[in-house]
Amino acid sequence: MKKVLIIGGGGGGLILANHLDTNEFDVTIVDKSDLHFYQPWFLYIAFKGSKRKISRPIGELVRPGVNFVKDEITEINLDERKAYGSRKVVYNYDYIAIATGTSPDPDSIPGLRQIYDEYGDYHSSVYNSQKLWSHVKNFKGGTIAIGQASPTCKCPPSLLEGAFLLEERLRGMGMSVGISDSISPSNGNDPAKTGTKGKSRIVFFTPFPRAYSAEPMNRVVEPMVKERGIEVMPFFDVDTIDVQNKTINSLEGESLKYDLPIIVPPCKGPKIKFTPETVQDEDRFIKADKNHMKIPGYDDAFAIGDCNTLPTSKTGVTAHLEAMAVSELIQGKYSEFNGRINCPFDTAYGKATFVIADYKNPVVPYPPTATKHFMKMSMARIYWMTLMGTADPIFERFFKFTTPEKLNKKYASVE
Amino acid sequence: MDVGVKIIDSRGAACPGPITDLARAYRNSKVGDIFEMWATDKGVKADTQAWATKTGNEILESREEPDKIVIRIKINKR
Repeated sequence: MKKVLIIGGGGGGLILANHLDTNEFDVTIVDKSDLHFYQPWFLYIAFKGSKRKISRPIGELVRPGVNFVKDEITEINLDERKAYGSRKVVYNYDYIAIATGTSPDPDSIPGLRQIYDEYGDYHSSVYNSQKLWSHVKNFKGGTIAIGQASPTCKCPPSLLEGAFLLEERLRGMGMSVGISDSISPSNGNDPAKTGTKGKSRIVFFTPFPRAYSAEPMNRVVEPMVKERGIEVMPFFDVDTIDVQNKTINSLEGESLKYDLPIIVPPCKGPKIKFTPETVQDEDRFIKADKNHMKIPGYDDAFAIGDCNTLPTSKTGVTAHLEAMAVSELIQGKYSEFNGRINCPFDTAYGKATFVIADYKNPVVPYPPTATKHFMKMSMARIYWMTLMGTADPIFERFFKFTTPEKLNKKYASVE
Repeated sequence: MDVGVKIIDSRGAACPGPITDLARAYRNSKVGDIFEMWATDKGVKADTQAWATKTGNEILESREEPDKIVIRIKINKR
């Protein structure tokens, strides 16, 4: 039986493992943690104080016949088809899929480590999200600087989702948001009640040219950003943070003062030593071709999900679809990933949208609705079925009926 | 290919888009470097122009080829 070794028990690793025929393949997942987290929920821990349990043991998320080993892989030799774990354990394979996800790197920006340790974030862990929530719920007023420290970041919509949910929270606490709070939001808040508990400013900084990086979606959300009093600093790529003077400085030469910093740290690829080392880029992401996720030069090695260099978003749906394609390829069928993204985007006040595109079609200017918010919330429930493959028929139909080509005909032409 | 020109291949990138790769390359650049960006995203010309204006760098050339848009950028400020 051919051995398939999967490094990482996140979404990509589990979906790949659970789609391989274990009567044909000896499938093993190795992960340094024995828990799997539903990462999109970090947002609701950090900005709504959610106490939902979002982790499950990896061993309970694999289909019968799939092996799970808790171990940390430190070295992979692609030429010898060997991976090395702790205690000198050697894993041999016929096929390998690297699906480690990313690791946060707060040490690459001066001053960020201190901010990260003190305030947490809403991308890296439950603990960090809870830490951030303790600052959000006790916020007494002033300027909140929120954004990503580097253009490479998981989940592009999550940055603005944070700003939107923060604004909803602050107004809910009775604070005003924005320099002049003359514009009342059209969200059902009583304008008479806002602003009685203090004044706040939310400054959203981004390395991109606009509030949302992809222009068609920006057309949809920018009016909401303005209406809610959220200020935007575009082309602001964090260079240094002066913790003493509470100032963030950008590579582009601007600075931003804060009272509460919410900074998502840069993320990097896995800390694994590869032979050959040229398969990793300067930020340790693993090079892979954009349709088959194959590591260049190897027919038996794949990189799926956040850890690879594909020109697409680092998001659950890409890990999912890449894993599905790789499972077919390993089983000798032809398959390719077309770059499809489908990122849920909570715009607060009970509405959400999806960022939908693929390699050939631009992002759809898809308007937020309450139905899409319900779908985002439902995803948090059916997620565990998705990992097992049980929800495949639903996703197949959904992706078929919501191709960016079809949706753009409907939404992008109405201008 | 010219010596010393860094190719930034962003073909297919729709979201977050080509500026991700440009900003990443900028962080590790030095004055005098030349980037050649390849992209398919239609907004790349306007975005790169806005980026260059903001950062004080220079667009040397911008042309459309059948399969991609090519933009050459000279790093004057870092």
